[in-house]
Amino acid sequence: MKPRYAPYFFLAPFFALFGVFMVYPLFDSIRLSTYSVRGMQNQTFVGLENIERLIADPLFWTALWNTAYFAAGSLLLQLPVALALALLLSNARLKGRNLFRLSFFSPVLISGVFIAVIFYLLYDRRYGLVNRVLGSEIQWLQDPDLVMPALVLAGVWRWAGFNMVYFLAGLQSIRQELYEAAAVDGAGPWQSFVHVTIPALKPVIAFVVITSMIGSFQLFDLPYVLTEGGPGNASMTMVMYLYKHGFEFINLGYAATIGWALAVIIGVISIIQVRLFGVFREN
Amino acid sequence: MNHLGKAPLIFGLLFLLAFPVIVFRGDDRSDTLEFWIFAQTHYDEFSARIPAFEAAHPGVKVELRLISKLHDKLLAAFLSGIGGPDLSEVEISSVGRFFKGTKEEIGFVDLTDRIEREGITDEFVQARLAPWSLDGRIYGLPRDVHPVMLLYRHDVYEKAGIDPASIETWDDFVRETRPLARDDDGDGRPDQYPIMLSAHKPGHFWLMLLQNGGGMFDEDGGVIIDNDIAVSTLEFYCSLLNEEQLAIPEFSQDPASYAAMKEGIILGVLAPDWYISFARRFVPELEGKWRAMPLPAWQEGERRTSTWGGTMIAVTRQAENPDLAWEFAKFAYMDDEALANRYRKTFIIPPIRSAWSNPVYTEPEAYLDGQVLGRSLTELAPDIPGFHLNPYWAEANDLLRQAVYEAANGIRTPADALSHLAEQVRALRNNTTETE
Repeated sequence: MKPRYAPYFFLAPFFALFGVFMVYPLFDSIRLSTYSVRGMQNQTFVGLENIERLIADPLFWTALWNTAYFAAGSLLLQLPVALALALLLSNARLKGRNLFRLSFFSPVLISGVFIAVIFYLLYDRRYGLVNRVLGSEIQWLQDPDLVMPALVLAGVWRWAGFNMVYFLAGLQSIRQELYEAAAVDGAGPWQSFVHVTIPALKPVIAFVVITSMIGSFQLFDLPYVLTEGGPGNASMTMVMYLYKHGFEFINLGYAATIGWALAVIIGVISIIQVRLFGVFREN
Repeated sequence: MNHLGKAPLIFGLLFLLAFPVIVFRGDDRSDTLEFWIFAQTHYDEFSARIPAFEAAHPGVKVELRLISKLHDKLLAAFLSGIGGPDLSEVEISSVGRFFKGTKEEIGFVDLTDRIEREGITDEFVQARLAPWSLDGRIYGLPRDVHPVMLLYRHDVYEKAGIDPASIETWDDFVRETRPLARDDDGDGRPDQYPIMLSAHKPGHFWLMLLQNGGGMFDEDGGVIIDNDIAVSTLEFYCSLLNEEQLAIPEFSQDPASYAAMKEGIILGVLAPDWYISFARRFVPELEGKWRAMPLPAWQEGERRTSTWGGTMIAVTRQAENPDLAWEFAKFAYMDDEALANRYRKTFIIPPIRSAWSNPVYTEPEAYLDGQVLGRSLTELAPDIPGFHLNPYWAEANDLLRQAVYEAANGIRTPADALSHLAEQVRALRNNTTETE
């Protein structure tokens, strides 16, 4: 066998599977979004009707708002927490820091469904640990104004440790001389953080922000188990809404439209973020 | 790359060979029955019984599979036309999605003629065939009846001088149990509640509506969720939660509700047969303190039960040997002794009347202070209400959740919430008809 063919043989399985399970469904879902699907086989071409319906569907906008709320909450709460943890745990003087690192990282190893069950118990009005600690009787999951903040907090618990690992890796790659030079110039810890750490971490921050945003927009398992989208539709997310139409109502055409709307939204936000961070810019 | 030798070629060939084997199962599987189930308890029950079926049918193998997210996977198999089992169980809250489109598109085998040929149609509680039927055709055998009773704290009733026999109607229930909803700590909320009704999920309301003779659709597919029965039922439901404050609103079947029972905060629960076994398992401390009475009627002399939950077994159209699959379905769901064993563990009453003569249903139950629960359940079972399934069931059921939430939490009046719901369900039907 000629060696120049070897890479193609190695790559062939991936491309075959990628073609069958990714490329084909992707293009077929574009076709599907122009159809009304009723029943297992009955498909009728409706052109752009699904998009018109989507724009006029108040529940879609509720789901979009909830999803955006979660994404914004993740960004504003989770990432600073992750960075703070990383800074704390990068301190060489901290005893048992590997244990702490593992502890903070471990929630991501647990399935989302299990995390949802844990938080269900934590948030219970009468018996939940959260209310016991606060000495309150707040209905975290039954109050439409509090359910999304409650989900954001659960998201922080789940993902902050995971993002902490990226920040830790980033912090370790910052050359110590930079801090020393800053100290020589009279910079205190805060100025070092602002003028050395943050700029040096910029590529990592960009990566974490973009991937967290994409992940947040795909939120499903936590609210699906924890609240079923309730109370009312106060915690309905876009992927939950897609799932409902796709798998419960068998409106595959409409579900495909929601899916593409989600993809476009994620795409636009990601492009904006990439531009803002200058990810692909030289230097 | 020379050092790689023939490895790439071998890997490539292996992949090409493996791919069709994975995708196309070429072997003859007509003697194999693949059976999908979704609950561990069902798995335990069937895995113990399958050897008996295989012994009675030499050469036949039953592959029992406990599938997580069974309904999604079964639906995907129906949509794609491959990969489905020969038989599957389906849970009642998920059944609507399988009855979309025309009769030819339904992924289950129509069992009506087989059931009639066997002469077992009348054996079943008739209302129990309805959730698995569409346009008069039956697509599954029911596993259960799930008659609902009112589980109540008889020790508390006794102490308060309440005679359960005096509670014949819901109005009696309100009058008799009102003194139990006391506010001892003066925080404006009762410290104990005579009943648990969810202000967020529709399950409790739905069973009360069925008991009252209401439903979502009539037998012709007309939307009836905004009729007088539905409105008055929801008004009463909301009054128990809000004005009367007799119902604790925050629980449905949450783990925390068991803690509230232990603490004596919840004194009554709308309890189908299976739920009573849950209480026995999760609140063993209350052994001897609970008893179960028929539901209070809406009017004197009317129906005193309802139904909540359910499972069917169906033969799929992808079954290679539907006759063999049908034989297994009967074996799985209609064996008296197996049904009696199941009752001992779960209190689940079978939907087959002849099975009720088994002595197990006359055994006193220690958890309920020696009450003969089986007898109470089998006496109520023939009277459970049915309901009419139709292709819009899944969407309508989802919208019901929102309507109950809005009414129970004062966002809309009950009449307004139901009229809005009915409007949405009718629009759903009209849109579908237009598109078709």
